[in-house]
Amino acid sequence: MKLHATIAESQIEIELHEQGSQVLAVVDGRKYDVDVRSSRDDHYLLICDAQVFDCRIEGRPESGATFDVIAGTDRYAVTLTDPKRLRGALAFGAHGDGAARIVAPMPGKVVRVLVKAGQNVEAGAGIAVVEAMKMQNEMKSPKSGTVVTVNAEVGATVNGGDLLAVIE
Amino acid sequence: MFRKILIANRGEIAVRVIRACRDLDVSPVAIYSEADARSLHVRLADEAYCAGPAASAESYLKIKSIIDIANRAGVEAIHPGYGFLAENAEFARAVSAAGLIFIGPAADAMEVMGSKTSARRAAMAAGAPVVPGTTEALKSLDDARATAATFGYPIMLKASAGGGGKGMRQVANESELRSAFEAAQSEAASAFGNSEVYLEKVVEKPRHIEIQIISDQQGNYVHLGERECSIQRRHQKVIEECPSPINDAELRERMGEIAIRIAKTVNYVGAGTIEFLFSDTTGDFYFLEMNTRLQVEHPVTELVTGLDLVREQIRVAAGEGLSFTQSDVDWSGHAIECRVYAEDPENNFLPSPGRIDFLRIPAGPGIRDDGGVTEGDEVSIYYDPMISKLAAWGRTRREAIDRLRRALDEYAVGGIKTTLPFFREVVRDEEFIKGRLDTGFITRFNDRRAQRGHPAHNEREARTEQDIAIIAAALAFKHAQSESYGREICQAKSKWRMAGRASSMNKLARDRSGRF
Repeated sequence: MKLHATIAESQIEIELHEQGSQVLAVVDGRKYDVDVRSSRDDHYLLICDAQVFDCRIEGRPESGATFDVIAGTDRYAVTLTDPKRLRGALAFGAHGDGAARIVAPMPGKVVRVLVKAGQNVEAGAGIAVVEAMKMQNEMKSPKSGTVVTVNAEVGATVNGGDLLAVIE
Repeated sequence: MFRKILIANRGEIAVRVIRACRDLDVSPVAIYSEADARSLHVRLADEAYCAGPAASAESYLKIKSIIDIANRAGVEAIHPGYGFLAENAEFARAVSAAGLIFIGPAADAMEVMGSKTSARRAAMAAGAPVVPGTTEALKSLDDARATAATFGYPIMLKASAGGGGKGMRQVANESELRSAFEAAQSEAASAFGNSEVYLEKVVEKPRHIEIQIISDQQGNYVHLGERECSIQRRHQKVIEECPSPINDAELRERMGEIAIRIAKTVNYVGAGTIEFLFSDTTGDFYFLEMNTRLQVEHPVTELVTGLDLVREQIRVAAGEGLSFTQSDVDWSGHAIECRVYAEDPENNFLPSPGRIDFLRIPAGPGIRDDGGVTEGDEVSIYYDPMISKLAAWGRTRREAIDRLRRALDEYAVGGIKTTLPFFREVVRDEEFIKGRLDTGFITRFNDRRAQRGHPAHNEREARTEQDIAIIAAALAFKHAQSESYGREICQAKSKWRMAGRASSMNKLARDRSGRF
């Protein structure tokens, strides 16, 4: 099995040959003979050259998706793509219209809205305050501009990623 | 001794109190919100009662429902833990009015010390030095502006009813005052139901040092030495140790005596903590506030003195005398505690709620973990995100750091982000190891960290580990694919089976129709 991996902004080719618990892996031309033990889907104990690597997976290991591998105490964000299944890899839409979207960083409650639509704001100006876990976090505008829309309402419960306002 | 105690709290502190109850052969009764029905503290209790919906204002803060539950369960006393109603005089009064015992100080003492402004007056009456500031709540923004002008910026705004860094804002100059004042008031109102704030001059580069005291109803007062809690972020303690790296017996005695004098002004009974700011440069210390409850960081004092503060709290509340005197108190070795929060240290310590899908708690020599969660638990958005306190004891500070480092590396929490990676770097930091602490430690630590980049092993080791991570990723990827492929086969199979069933049913129907 051959895959493309993206890790720490570099592109790496990986090839796996499995034979029972023995895995021969070639990573960017470097060969590794690894003994693999797995007690659950998201847990892999790898022993390579007598070196122990206790690895855990966080996130869904799907083509094109970024998920985390925790090796010992270090965390790596890895994106894998299967060259045979490239569809879906282009799903990431990017829009560069210069608008700044202020989104809730996590689930919580909107306690204050500090701007109105049409208002001009400086970079760093407070837009809305979201309270979660008893802490109030002020969402600031990353840029100077005009508030185009305000979606936040005082007292409303929001989810992480919910749009609070757009600055253009 | 009591037969049955209700614990009006959740999480690790509820578990901690349940353990003390077990030691004393007292039956622990838990309360829980709808979000906590499967929690560890519920599992460990003898009886458990739902106190209401997830929002704490409708459950853990609901005085009437808690008293009703206490009556229904037939308990004799209520332990409030820390946070929630632990420093709420109205609750203490309601407990007494219901004929039950509140495990903590009298409501009057709590009221004096609970309001930071009247606490300052009490401390001054006891002859304790205080930081320049107001002893009254600020009436308005203009009042704040005028007061700040009298002793100059920077100043600190604090909630009168506060604790845990909530409702607290540092103000560098007058232009920041308005928004900080409003934010502090609003945060205070939502966290404590009281929007009163006051202000203090900021002592530059202070150490946060606090004295643990405990007293009984017979009037015996004992201090258990200091804890240093200088490592804070957003004015919340994250690492605490006992003793302070200053480790000065004469200073400990002086602060201990003043702490007892302050507690005596309100006839304090039970466990309490008097917080001071200590200036390394002048050697002066100032009274900050008194916490009329058990502190989060009490384990470090327990590890060094060998005493069980919660057991002692319960005994004292039951009318027994303290089981030790001042001269019995012996400080041995050094203990350091880290508060493990469900927060992302890479993202400005933003809370990271979610399901804990893996949990490995460290153990071994000198390690103590006071946790409130098990694998599979949900860290919800409703409560404080602390999931456990990891403490290490050693004969020396150095030995304690070595053990803490080992335990932090062993600790694994999956599914959510935690402050563990942050602590792993702190215990390897030169300044920390040297004990050069003050409340600005984290800011300076972050600057040092940004400069040197990620620490770590040598280049070759780092590359091997990264390659191994990619191999693990590929294995998981392959596993997930063969699983979904397997599912497709199964579905395909069952489609064939369904089709087969349908055709044999048709056949049966045809046969039957043929027979009739």
